[in-house]
Amino acid sequence: MLNDATEGPVTGGEPHVVMVTTGEVAVAEHPQVLLTPALGSCVGVAVWDAAKRRGALAHVMLPSPQNALADGNPDRFATVALPKMVDMLAQGGGLRRYVAKIAGGAAMFKGDTAMASIGDRNVEEVKRQLALLRIPVLAEDTGGSHARTMEFHLDTGLVIVRSYLYGIREL
Amino acid sequence: MRPESLSDLQLDAIRELGNIGAGHAATALAQITGRPVGVEVPEVRLVPVVEVPQVLGGAETLVGAVFARLYGNVEGSVLFVGGREALLGLVDLLHNRPVGSTKSLGSAEESIIAQTGFVLITAYLTAIGRLTDLTVLPSKPMFAFDMTGAVLDSVAAEVGMKADTAVLVKTAFATEEERIDAVVLYMPDPDSLEVMLGKLGVV
Repeated sequence: MLNDATEGPVTGGEPHVVMVTTGEVAVAEHPQVLLTPALGSCVGVAVWDAAKRRGALAHVMLPSPQNALADGNPDRFATVALPKMVDMLAQGGGLRRYVAKIAGGAAMFKGDTAMASIGDRNVEEVKRQLALLRIPVLAEDTGGSHARTMEFHLDTGLVIVRSYLYGIREL
Repeated sequence: MRPESLSDLQLDAIRELGNIGAGHAATALAQITGRPVGVEVPEVRLVPVVEVPQVLGGAETLVGAVFARLYGNVEGSVLFVGGREALLGLVDLLHNRPVGSTKSLGSAEESIIAQTGFVLITAYLTAIGRLTDLTVLPSKPMFAFDMTGAVLDSVAAEVGMKADTAVLVKTAFATEEERIDAVVLYMPDPDSLEVMLGKLGVV
């Protein structure tokens, strides 16, 4: 049951926490907890398989490869990361009955409209990809101008969003 | 350009640019406050952009940052970053008040920091422009105050991941009473660093 459960590096302090850094995708299974720190204009996407108590978490940076000139990690794009995370989750077998929760997509810098729109465009593309994959969005904490850290518990599907501005929010 | 591909001579040239830029920034700060301001540049180095949050104390550490895009012969972006305590100290310094008077960052304080950060950025750029005989113009400054990782990722998304390497200039501004530690990050677009090094004759 625990095959391919740990993708990506695990933080030293707590062995059951799976860290997902910028532009990464990871799959884990209860009792592990998926964690992605410091979402700014990036969007954290949590996809949960309730029956198997498994889940995938992505830290999406940009909507699609058209938004970047240089090469690099393709998983930072919503159009790549979302189909990939669902594929990774589907490798665990079972019915593909997934639900999603998203957080992030803020405009960190005040006073610039071009930069402010990156967060909005990320959220828009993430939702479009989830609709294409027929995964409903159960809850979201997006927009605003504050950073968020996202914690994804796989037994209940609980997503905890932490920020300096609002403290702890549960999705 | 990757940090490991630079020669010692080129790294020295970049360090010297950082030193001279910080000197000009200190002069600007002294003119604003009417007090002598000393400057120290303990460290100038090249860091991959993705590792910058770690250098600044971790992804979730609170920082204030002033960001500007650069236009002209050398393109890229520049970021003035300071921790919460350092920024509060900067506000006190500018108001001629004892350190510790300012306790919170409201919109007035944010505005002061954004404008001062911008003056310091411009001082750096003027120094570099004179030395290299290049025109470098900054865009309007933008301010953010939140988790380091979120601020830097937003900058990286904005520049479209064009820059993979940042020139990190640690700077300490010191008056008789206080000391403000800040970091200036210069993220050149591809080829811009080569243009600068070429002008200095160390390609």
